[in-house]
Amino acid sequence: MDRVNSRGGRFFIHAVLVAFAIYSLTPFLWTTLQSFKTFKDAFSRVPIFIFQPTWANYQDVWIRSLPDAGSAVGYFILLAAVILTCLMLFARHIPLNSTWIYIAGLVGYGLLLWAIPQMVYMQKYYNYFINTIIVTVFTILISISIGCLAGYSLARYAGMAAVVILIAALAFRALPRLAFVLPYYWIGSLTNLLDTHILVIIALVAVNQPFTIWMLRSFFMEVPKDLEESAMVDGANRLTSFLHVIVPVAWPGIISTALFTLLLAYNEFLLVRVLTQTNWTLPVAISRYTGAEDPAQLTLAAAASVSATIPIIVVILFFQKHLVRGLAAGAVKG
Amino acid sequence: MKRSTFFAFASPSIVVMVALMVVPLLMALWLALQYMTFRNITAPEYVGLRNYIEILNDPFFWRSFNFTALYIIIVVPSWVVIGFIIALFLDQVSGFVRGVYLSIFLLPFIIVPIIGTIMFKQLWEPSGLLTYIYQQLTGVRFRVNETSVKTLIIVFGIWYVTPFTIVVYFAGLQTLPPEMIEAASIDGATRLQKIRHIVIPYVSSLTVFILLFSIMDSYRVFDSVFVLSELNPQFKADTVMTYTFLTAMQFQRLGKSNAMAILTVIGIMVVLVPFLYLMYKEQIAER
Repeated sequence: MDRVNSRGGRFFIHAVLVAFAIYSLTPFLWTTLQSFKTFKDAFSRVPIFIFQPTWANYQDVWIRSLPDAGSAVGYFILLAAVILTCLMLFARHIPLNSTWIYIAGLVGYGLLLWAIPQMVYMQKYYNYFINTIIVTVFTILISISIGCLAGYSLARYAGMAAVVILIAALAFRALPRLAFVLPYYWIGSLTNLLDTHILVIIALVAVNQPFTIWMLRSFFMEVPKDLEESAMVDGANRLTSFLHVIVPVAWPGIISTALFTLLLAYNEFLLVRVLTQTNWTLPVAISRYTGAEDPAQLTLAAAASVSATIPIIVVILFFQKHLVRGLAAGAVKG
Repeated sequence: MKRSTFFAFASPSIVVMVALMVVPLLMALWLALQYMTFRNITAPEYVGLRNYIEILNDPFFWRSFNFTALYIIIVVPSWVVIGFIIALFLDQVSGFVRGVYLSIFLLPFIIVPIIGTIMFKQLWEPSGLLTYIYQQLTGVRFRVNETSVKTLIIVFGIWYVTPFTIVVYFAGLQTLPPEMIEAASIDGATRLQKIRHIVIPYVSSLTVFILLFSIMDSYRVFDSVFVLSELNPQFKADTVMTYTFLTAMQFQRLGKSNAMAILTVIGIMVVLVPFLYLMYKEQIAER
């Protein structure tokens, strides 16, 4: 659309956008405020905006008891996390192969996550966090690797079989989770797989597969056919030309799809709620805070919610373009 | 690409979908014909279509069906209208500011739905911000009852998914050819006329896309109802999905809940068949 140029018009546009931003943000801002309040402040009938902030709620959610040299250990962990994050952020500017730096950084994060409960006595909540990471990482790895192969072949094959698979996948995407989850539950209870990560990961890969192949297919469609054809003329077979020529070109699209898989796995509630009894992921663990009669749960729920949202906010800040590309991909090319 | 290469590449994914989606669905069809609780989970008892008959005569099922229908009827048009309007406004700003707005607007959609609902609910606790504002404005105490819980579920539904429609419409507006608007400007069309006669027809294929995905996602609403009503029967705010969940996990009627899931599958397929046919023709035309 052509631009509104009058001063009043510009003011109106920004007024509407700011109002909508406030509407979008209010729950986050209020919950963040509540999470830093003491019980007394949080339960004031008249909302309090100026108060003495406290970390106690966060500490209660995450840490059971600090060791004697608690503060020193805490600073060590913080320092390690900051160094790792800086390494990841500036990897591009270090004169080394950045792939290895990323891998080293991820291994470092893994070691740190493993080391924390060895040094500090953590709450159960930390286990749920680790469960979430395990489930999410494996779901992404499995569904993206098989999804890439399928998405690429669906983008290139012109026969009827591809159409049938695409339409069937779309129909599956529309089905309720419960139609799949209840049979899984039944099998799980017959085979003692209930409450294991494996069952949850399998279920997540399965229910997200239709979405994954549709999205990856739309990204592979954008890659010109000449690319792999010239590679194949040079003697490479389909698979090597796919791995060495197509995947690097389609990489941004694969990242977008991986991000959405991450969000779907991280967000899943119903499926995990049915298939696990103790090995919960964060959404299920947090839902346990609600509906309790104990009023103290209110600030704890706030702190737990805010902590579980921080990784998502980091994802938005770093990958906003990928997210928008992903949302738009299915839509514009539809 | 040759047929054999296609199947070689697609087979892992096809195997996953057949083994983990088609087979469970067939299993659900079979389970729906059994009387099964947690006690006789290894030895279900065959009861034929009795589960289906019980569901169709179950007033609580129809109540949850009605609330789900109400939810869809209110929420889906709101997504389309609000999303389109905000996308038009967002299209008017550019550069860094647009990125900031977009990040903020995306937040409700990206966040874990359960956590989003908990945060939303915090506003309406007795000590919440909006409870206070509501009481100041109306002078009436905010009560947690059937009406208010249902309203909150619907309002949350709108808040949570609008970002998706904003981004889709916004991406569509980016591809709008400027010549079309210029031509209209030369003819002296007002802004509203341009929106009415150029932009809305231009994005109509996106509207179909959004409707398809909105209907797919809105009837499955579960997480927000789970948190906001706490599945408490006094609020009468069950949706089809939460009622199926309760039937399985609380009333322990696994066979009946499978039958309910099958009925939902049939229902959604009836609604979706025209859309699927549309997609099918589009795919055929592409080849």
